[in-house]
Amino acid sequence: MKKILSICLFEIKRTFKKKSSIVLMLGMPLLFTFLFGSIFGKNADIAFRIALVDEEQTAYSKDIIQKLMHDEMISYELFNALEAEKLLASNEVQGIVTLEKGIANKLRNEEPAATFQPSLGIATAPLIKQQVNQAMQSLDIYVAAAQVGGFYFNESWESVYERLTGNERQIQAWTEQRINASDGHPLMGISYSSAGFSIMFVMIMMLSMTGTLIEARQAGIWSRLFTTPVTRFQVLLGYFLSFFIVGGIQFFLLILLSSTLFDVNWGSPVALLLLVTALLLCVVGLGMSIASLVKTVEQQNAIGTLVIISTCMLGGVYWPISIVPDVMQKIANFVPQTWAMEGFTSLIADSGTVGDILVPLIVLLGFAVIFLSIGLSRMNYT
Amino acid sequence: MLTLSDVKKSFGAHEVIKGISFQVEKGESFGLLGPNGAGKSTLISMICGLIPNGEGEIRVNGKLVSKHRKETQQMIGVVPQDIALYPTMSALDNLMFWGKMYGLSGKKAKDRAKEVLEIVGLTERGKDRVETFSGGMKRRINIGAALMHEPQLLIMDEPTVGIDPQSRSHILETVKSLNEQGLTVIYTSHYMEEVEFLCKRIAIIDEGKLLISGTKKDLNNRLAGGIVLKLTVGSLHPSFIEQVKKLNGVEKVIVQQAEEIDVHLQSKMESVADVILLASQSGVVIHNMHLKEANLETLFLQLTGRSLRE
Repeated sequence: MKKILSICLFEIKRTFKKKSSIVLMLGMPLLFTFLFGSIFGKNADIAFRIALVDEEQTAYSKDIIQKLMHDEMISYELFNALEAEKLLASNEVQGIVTLEKGIANKLRNEEPAATFQPSLGIATAPLIKQQVNQAMQSLDIYVAAAQVGGFYFNESWESVYERLTGNERQIQAWTEQRINASDGHPLMGISYSSAGFSIMFVMIMMLSMTGTLIEARQAGIWSRLFTTPVTRFQVLLGYFLSFFIVGGIQFFLLILLSSTLFDVNWGSPVALLLLVTALLLCVVGLGMSIASLVKTVEQQNAIGTLVIISTCMLGGVYWPISIVPDVMQKIANFVPQTWAMEGFTSLIADSGTVGDILVPLIVLLGFAVIFLSIGLSRMNYT
Repeated sequence: MLTLSDVKKSFGAHEVIKGISFQVEKGESFGLLGPNGAGKSTLISMICGLIPNGEGEIRVNGKLVSKHRKETQQMIGVVPQDIALYPTMSALDNLMFWGKMYGLSGKKAKDRAKEVLEIVGLTERGKDRVETFSGGMKRRINIGAALMHEPQLLIMDEPTVGIDPQSRSHILETVKSLNEQGLTVIYTSHYMEEVEFLCKRIAIIDEGKLLISGTKKDLNNRLAGGIVLKLTVGSLHPSFIEQVKKLNGVEKVIVQQAEEIDVHLQSKMESVADVILLASQSGVVIHNMHLKEANLETLFLQLTGRSLRE
C-alpha cells in the first residue's frame, strides 16, 4: 500500500509542479464558463432578442410563433414590420424573422417562406435560421394534410388546419401544465456552461495526465519500475489513484469557484459526489484506454483531443442537445457526456436527488467498466 | 552472488540467449562485453526479473529469480541504459521516489538520498530539476537511484553512453570505489577500455552465446598473438599470405580489406623483420605498417571476425 501511495503522491506532486496544469485545471474552464455562460446565460434575453413579424396572420403562422416563443435560449417578440425595423436600427433587437404571406403554399412549393434579417456580426444567425425552419417543418405535415383535406371537403385549408391542430394544442397545453407542475427546468446560462466546461476540461486534464503513462513507458521509467520489487497492480493503481484524485480536486475547485463567482447551485452534495465519482471513473478509464491504444504522447494528444471535442459536441456540452436533429440526439446516447449532462441538469435545474440520477449514474459506470477494461487489458508495460 | 546455469530465452521462434552459464562471486566486478544486439540487455532483464527466463536457472544469493522475484529484486540495483528519471522533478525527489520503490520510508529515503547525492558528487544540485542537468550529471543521478536501497549487486547496463570524458571518468571512479567497498558489480559495455579498467573477470557474448569468460590474464592468454602487425600493401597475392602464415612466430593472418592485413605474431621483432623480408622477396610493396598490442578488442575480433562496436 505504501508503494501505491508513493506512486500516487509523486504523480500528484509532479502534476501540480507544472504551471500549465493550473491553467488547464482552473483558468481555462472558468474563462470558457464565463464566456459561454454570457452567451447562453441569464442575460441571454438581452443579448439575443429577435423581433418576429407575422405577415401571414393565420393559425399556421401563429403556431410557428408559439413554437419559437417557447425557446429557452433566444427571446422572440412579436412586432409589426415598422416597429421591428426601428428596433433593429437602434440595436434593440439582434434580428428580424418575417413569416411571409402565403407561407404554407411557399413551403409546399419548397420556396423560401420566412426571412431572417440579422444585425451585423450576430454569431447565432445560423442557429436562429435553423430554429425557424424546424418550427415550420414540424407543422408541415399538418399543412399538407389540411391542403389535401380542404380540396376533398371543399373547404379552405386554413379551417381544416385549425381543426387538425386544435387537439394538438390542447395536448400541448396539458403537457406544459404538467411540466410546470413537476417543476422541471432546463439547464441554462452559466449553470449550463459550468457543468459542460467542467466536464470538458476535466476530460482534457485527464487526457494530459494519462499521457504520463506513455511518457513513463517511453523514458524507460516503467521498465526500471518493474526491476524494483513492485507489481504491475501496484504501479497501475498508484497511477489510477493519482488521476482520480487530481480529477476530483479539479471538479471540487470548479464547483466551489463557479458557486462563488457565478452563483451556480450544484444541488444535492451527496448526489453530486456520486455523479462526479462515476464521471471521473469513466473519464480516467477513457484516458487510460486511449493511452493503451497509442504509442506516443503526440498520438495520445491528437486522438484524445479529437475524441473529447467531438463527443462533447455530440453530448451537449457546448449547447443544449435539444437543438440538434433527432438522429444526432439518438447517437448522443452513446457518449458519456450526454449522461453526465443529464445528471447535472437533474441536480442543478430540478434539485434532483440520488434517485433522480440513477440512470445517468449506471450508464456512466457502465462506460467506466468498458473503458477501464480496454485500458488495463491492452496496456503495454515495456 | 549470482549464478546463471544454461539460461536460454526465445522471443517467438527467435532464440536470443542460447544457453549461457557463468558465476559472479560476492564483491567481484564482472564485465559483460558484447556488440549491440549480442543479448546483454536481455540477459540483464532476466537477471533483474523484468522478463522471465525461458530455460535454465538464474540464482541471486542462492534464490531462484523465477520463484523469489521480489526478494531477489530487493538485492539488486539496476542502472538502465536509458536515463529513467523524472526530468521535471529535483534530483532529491527522484532519488527519494526510487528509494520508496524499494521500501524506504519518507525520513530514511530523504537521509539516504542525501548520502547518495554525496556519493555521485551532486550534493549542491540536489534541489535542482533533473532537466537542468548535463548528460553526465543525469547519468550520475541515474546511477544514484540504483544505490538508494544499498543493494548487494549493482548491475550497470552501458551507463556511460553519450557523455563527456570528465563525467565518464567520474562515473568509472565512483563504481570502482563502490566495488572496492564490497559491492558486487556487473558492468556491461561495448567500451572495452571501461571493462578493462573496472572488471577483474570478463565474459564476452555474441549472438546470445558466451564466447569466452575469465580473468583479464586468462583472456590475454587466449589471444592468438601478443602483437598485431597491421600492413597496408600495394597489391596482395594469395601466395604471399600463405607464405606469411608459414613463417615462424606467426599465429594468424586476417585479411581486413583488399590491401590491409593483420598479422598476429607471438612476439618479438624478428618475426616482423621476416614478414618485411618476405614482402620484399615476393614483390609486395608495403605502403604503411604499424604494431599494435593485442587487447580484448583484438580477442573479440579473433573470436567473431567482427568489431565490438559494429
